[in-house]
Amino acid sequence: MLPGPGARKEKNVDIVVLLKQVPATESLIQVADDGVSIKTEELKWVINPYDEFAVEEALRIREAQGGSVTVLSVGTDKAVEAIRTALAMGADTGVLVNDPAALGKGALATARVLAAAVKQIPFDLVIAGQRAVDADQFQVGPAVAEYLRIPNVSMVIKTELLDGSIRCHRTIEGGTVVVESPLPMLFTTQRGLNEPRYASLPGIMKAKKKPLETKTLADFGLDAGALEGPTARIRALSPPAERGGGRIIEGESAAEKAAALVKALHEEAKVI
Amino acid sequence: MAQIIADRRDIDFVLHEQFEVEQLSEHERFQEFTKKTIDMVVTEARNLAVKEILPTREESDRQGCVFEDGKVTVPECFHRVWELYKEGEWLAMPEDPEYGGQGMPTCVALAASDYLVGANYAFMMYSGLTHGAGKLVEAFGTEQQKKMFLKKMYTGEWTGTMLLTEPEAGSDVGALTTAAVKNDDGTYSIAGSKIFISSGEHDMAENIIHPVLARIEGAPAGTKGISLFIVPKFWVNEDGSLGELNDVVCTGIEEKMGIHGNSTCSLTMGGKGGCRGLLLGEENKGMRAMFLMMNDARLLVGLQGYTCASNAYLYALNYARERVQGKNLLKMMDKDAPSVPIIQHPDVRRMLITMKAFTEGMRSLLYYAGLCEDRIKVAADADETAKWQGIADVLIPICKGYVTERAFEICSTALQVYGGYGYIKDYPLEQLLRDVRITLIYEGTNGIQAMDLLGRKLGMNKGKPVMDLLGEMQQIVAQAKQIDVLQAPAAATEKAINRLAEVGMQIGATAMSPKVLEAFSFAHPFMMVTGDVVMAWMLLWRAVLAAQKLEKGAKKKDVAFYEGQIKSIDFFAGQMLPITMGKMEAIMAMNPAAIEISEESFGG
Ligand SMILES: Cc1cc2nc3c(=O)[nH]c(=O)nc-3n(C[C@H](O)[C@H](O)[C@H](O)COP(=O)(O)OP(=O)(O)OC[C@H]3O[C@@H](n4cnc5c(N)ncnc54)[C@H](O)[C@@H]3O)c2cc1C
Repeated sequence: MLPGPGARKEKNVDIVVLLKQVPATESLIQVADDGVSIKTEELKWVINPYDEFAVEEALRIREAQGGSVTVLSVGTDKAVEAIRTALAMGADTGVLVNDPAALGKGALATARVLAAAVKQIPFDLVIAGQRAVDADQFQVGPAVAEYLRIPNVSMVIKTELLDGSIRCHRTIEGGTVVVESPLPMLFTTQRGLNEPRYASLPGIMKAKKKPLETKTLADFGLDAGALEGPTARIRALSPPAERGGGRIIEGESAAEKAAALVKALHEEAKVI
Repeated sequence: MAQIIADRRDIDFVLHEQFEVEQLSEHERFQEFTKKTIDMVVTEARNLAVKEILPTREESDRQGCVFEDGKVTVPECFHRVWELYKEGEWLAMPEDPEYGGQGMPTCVALAASDYLVGANYAFMMYSGLTHGAGKLVEAFGTEQQKKMFLKKMYTGEWTGTMLLTEPEAGSDVGALTTAAVKNDDGTYSIAGSKIFISSGEHDMAENIIHPVLARIEGAPAGTKGISLFIVPKFWVNEDGSLGELNDVVCTGIEEKMGIHGNSTCSLTMGGKGGCRGLLLGEENKGMRAMFLMMNDARLLVGLQGYTCASNAYLYALNYARERVQGKNLLKMMDKDAPSVPIIQHPDVRRMLITMKAFTEGMRSLLYYAGLCEDRIKVAADADETAKWQGIADVLIPICKGYVTERAFEICSTALQVYGGYGYIKDYPLEQLLRDVRITLIYEGTNGIQAMDLLGRKLGMNKGKPVMDLLGEMQQIVAQAKQIDVLQAPAAATEKAINRLAEVGMQIGATAMSPKVLEAFSFAHPFMMVTGDVVMAWMLLWRAVLAAQKLEKGAKKKDVAFYEGQIKSIDFFAGQMLPITMGKMEAIMAMNPAAIEISEESFGG
C-alpha cells in the first residue's frame, strides 16, 4: 500500500510481523546424520522471502498511517540476524522467542507460541508470510489467527486500509477476490504484494540501537508440556532422487524420430 | 555454484581475524562499528550487489552508452539500480556523517565495496568518481561551497567526475592548456578541451560536478601553475538551487575495449564562451590538491582490478569443479576410467592455486591499506600518524600498479581454465578480461606507478616509511618462525624481505647516479618484486593465524579454509618467490640493453 502524494495520516496502526529465518534457497541442503533434520553448519540464513513481503507491507502501512511495526520470531540465537535485518529495513522493535522447548514442534505448536507472544503486544494487524520456504506448510499464519480468534485472509497481493478495517485483494485460481475484514485481523502475503526494500546503511546503523527482546515460554505462562499433543513428527528425510540422464531418440529421419518419441511417451512414460 | 563476486569466508577472515577491525570501535570515532554492525554492512552490501548490481554487468556491457546530440544515455538497467544504491546511502561510506557520509572505517568500506564494485565496476565508477570529487570539495572547498555541493554529491543526487586529461596532457598532467580567467564576480571563465572523462556526461543525475584542472592566465608553466576549479554542468546558485546550463559540451564518447557501461567523454568547456567555474582551494595549488586525493583514487583503481580477479577466480573455481573432461592422470591407461572434473588435473590445479594465492594476498593488501587510513584517523600522536601515513604512501603504487598487473594475469588465467568457452561471450570471463585492462592504465599508468615507487616513495623521509614497512613484515616472519609447519615459507619470506631491502638500496642509489636511466628501466620490475614480497608477507600473516587456529582445534567447517591458507603461502614461497628472487638478481645486475639500444636498432 503506497500513500499517494500528501496522503493524510489516518490513524496509528500497530502491526506485528511474524518472521522466520530460513536457509537461503541458494544453499546446498544436506540431510544430517540423525536422518530427520538437515545439516545447518554451513548454511547461509535469510529472512523467509514471504516474510520480507510482510515486513515491507507493514512498513508501508506505518509510513502512510503512523503506528509501529514489531517483528516477532521463534528461533535460536542465529535468528537475531534476521530480526536485525528487519529492523534495519525500518521495523521498530524485535521480539525473539528463544526456547529449546519451542523449537521443532511442528506448525501448530509454533503457532501457539506466536499467538501467546502476540497477545502481549498491542496490535491492530498481524502480517505473516503465506508459508516458510523451508517446510512449506502454509499453516502457521492461519493457525495464529485461530488461536487469537481474529479473522484471517490468505495470499494477499494488495491492501487498502479503511477506517477500522482493511480491504485485501487475494489471489484465487485464475483471478483475484477482494475481501474486507475488521481490525484486528491477520493476513498472509503472496508474491506481487510489494517489492521489499533493501536495508539502507543508515538503517543498519540504527538497527543496532532498536529494542530487541528475547523471551522464553515461561514469559507467556506456557510450559513445554502445553505444546505437546497431536503433531506431525518427521520420520525420515531424504534428498530428491537425482535426475537420470536424458535419452536421445535415435532414428533415420525426423518422421521416424517423431514416431519413436510418440511411442515412448505413450507406452513408457504413459503421459499421452 | 558456491560463491560469486567474492568469498565471504575470506572477507570475514581478513576483517576479523587478520586485522581485527572491531578494535577500531574502541575509538570514539568508530565506536558504532562493532562486529555485528560490520557483518551486517557486508551482508547487506552483498545482498544489493548480488541481487541488483550483478545482473546489470553483462547487459550494460552489451548495450553500452549511447551518444546523441551532446547527450549520453547510460544502459537502461542502470537507472533503477542507481536509485536503489542512492536510497541505501552507500556512496560515501567513510565520510563525515555531517555531509551525508556514514563515518565508516575505510577497511570496512572496502569490504562492502568488494561486493558492490565487484558486481559491476563500470556502474560503480559513477559512484566512485562522485565520491572522489566530493572529497575534493570537502577537503578544499569553502564552507559555502561545501553547503552548495557536498550533500547532493555524497547522496548521489548529483554525480562527479575528474577532468585532468587532454590530448597533449596524459601522463604529463603539467602540460595541460585548459585556461582560466578570473571574472569580476570572483568566478572564473574556463576554456579548453578534456578527453577520456569517465562519467563526464550521462542521464542518471540532474547535475554533474566537474572538478577541472586548468591554468590561470599568466600562471607558471608545468605543474606549479595548475589550479583546481569546480565546473558544474548546471550552474549552482548560492542557495543550492540550479541555475542555467553551463557551457560544458560533450562532443563524443569513446568506443572502448571494456567498461562499456561507463561513458568516457570528450568535453569542451567554453566553446561558446560561457563556461564558468569556481576556484577550489588556492590558486596554483591544484596539483597539491590532486596529490592529497591520489591515495584514495589509486586504492579504488586497485580495488577495481582486484575485484575482477576475485570474480574471475571464483568463476574458474566453480567451472573447474563442474567441467568434466579427460581422465585422471593416474588412470590414463585405463580405458574404462571415467572422465573427471578438470579440477583433478595437475595443470588446472596449478592455475587455481596461483589465482587463489594472489587473490587472497591482494585482498589483504588492499584492506590493509584501508586500515592504515583508519589508523591515521585514530592515531594517538604525530609519530603514529606519520608511521601509518608513510606505510600507506609506500603501499599505494603497489595497490594500484602491482595489483592491477596481477589482476589482469588472473583474469587471463581464469579464462584459460574455461578453455574455448572462456573466449565465448556466453561466459563471463572474456568481459572480465576486457574490463580489467584499463585499470593498468588510468589514474596514472603502471609505468608511472613504478616511477612513483622508485623516484618518490623509496627515498621519502630518508627511507623511514620503507623501513617501517619492512619492520612490520619482519614481525610476521618472527611469529611464523615459532610455528613448525611454517618453517620453510617463513625462511623463504625472510630471505626475500632481506634481499628486497638490498635491492631497494641499490636501485635507489643508482637512480641518483649517472645511471639513472638504467635504474628507471628497472622501476617496473622493482615494483613487481616489491609487490611479490608484500604478497608473501600477507600470505604468511594469514597462515600464522590459520596455523594457530588449527592448533587450537578449529570448527569442522573452518578446517579446510585454514588448511587452504597454509597451502597458499606454501605454494607462494615454493613456486613464486624463487622467481621473485631471480628477478631481484636481474635488478641487481641491471642490464643496460634497454637504455643502450639505439632507437634505430629497435628496427621497424
Ligand atoms: C576508459 C578511460 C577512462 C579515463 N578516465 C579519465 C578520467 O575520468 N579523467 C581523466 O582526467 N583522465 C581519464 N583517463 C585518461 C587516463 O588517465 C590517461 O589515458 C592516462 O593517464 C595515460 O595518459 P595517455 O593516454 O596520454 O598516455 P601517455 O601519457 O601518452 O602514455 C603512453 C605510454 O607512455 C608511458 N609514459 C608516459 N610518460 C612517461 C614517463 N614520463 N615515464 C615513463 N613512461 C611514460 C606511459 O606509461 C604509457 O605506457 C581515462 C582513460 C581511459 C582510457
